[in-house]
Amino acid sequence: MNGRPSRVRASSHYTCVMGAAGGFGYFWRGAREAAMGPAWLVGLSLASVGALAHDVGMPAWLAALSTPLVWAGPGQLIFFASMGTKAAALAILTATTLAAVRFLPMVVSLLPRVRSARTGLWSQLLASHLIAVTVWVETMRRGPGLPVEARMPFMYGFGLSCVAIATGMTFAGYWLAGSLPGPVAAALLFISPIYFVVSLARGAREAMDWAALWLGLILAPVMQSFVGGGLDLLATGAVAGGLAYLVRRWRQGRGLAP
Amino acid sequence: METLRLVFADPAAAPLAAMLVLAAAPNVVFRVMGVFLSRGLNEGSEALAFVRAMASALLAGVVGKLLAAPPGALAQLSFPTRIGVFALAVGAFFLFRRSLAAAFIVGEAALIAAFWL
Repeated sequence: MNGRPSRVRASSHYTCVMGAAGGFGYFWRGAREAAMGPAWLVGLSLASVGALAHDVGMPAWLAALSTPLVWAGPGQLIFFASMGTKAAALAILTATTLAAVRFLPMVVSLLPRVRSARTGLWSQLLASHLIAVTVWVETMRRGPGLPVEARMPFMYGFGLSCVAIATGMTFAGYWLAGSLPGPVAAALLFISPIYFVVSLARGAREAMDWAALWLGLILAPVMQSFVGGGLDLLATGAVAGGLAYLVRRWRQGRGLAP
Repeated sequence: METLRLVFADPAAAPLAAMLVLAAAPNVVFRVMGVFLSRGLNEGSEALAFVRAMASALLAGVVGKLLAAPPGALAQLSFPTRIGVFALAVGAFFLFRRSLAAAFIVGEAALIAAFWL
């Protein structure tokens, strides 16, 4: 009930703001906003994946290709680390599958927020491949401020810009591997934790979001020591996410603002 | 079929095929499942709020794990030091009116300083 009137208002806004430029204007705006910062941060974290690929003796083209084809830092990290230790294929597949499960709630929560009534299935399938941490966080945060019709083009521009820059950075990391001193390498690795948490905090809009953030941070190491078989992250998501959702219901029940 | 057998016998023998099957395919599966599960869901629905909480907690969990058991060069710092550096970055974020840049500058400076101390 809530979506319909705003959709009508947003499309009329769309026709007068975007006019002849169509979605292209928002595509470039997304690409530009990514290139102003976020894309370089993903790029820096993927540069460390490139360095790892170098250290385990994989070819440079494979390292560079892994970024557009896999587009998931942890998955790429697991893959290259496993190639170094000559792990069994089934063990690698289990680990990458568990790391990939997080995309399910990400795609499910982001798409209804960005698509319009006119967005086709293929466009959504293609867009789903771009959804990883950075694109999810930034589009969740910036999307609602854009006209509905502009959100998909914006996400395409933002996502493709991230992929392009990060691919170049993966390649750069491959060639820089081994020549970075310890503190610089550590500083590179520390970019992801700061970026993930700060992005989540900037996108948090209600008590539930804050609860999910803090509970997830604290529960993950606990789950790691109590839940085995690589299922600890999934358990963290279910328990911390479930508790955070209960916070929302509790506040609703007491008539508080969400 | 032959390639697939090769992938499962020795991933390093067919690196591109191994990457497609072992690293890219699982992501495609869950992203596509997400697209189909999201159909019919509306922004603002309760189900979506629950899913959002789970996604946020999962992502925060990734960070929690990175801090507790970090890879590579980060492991050279002790656990209290890592938590301290991270707390400084988060503190700077709130102190400077939710600034991403402040969190980075303070966090990275504290990290480099921790190596020298």
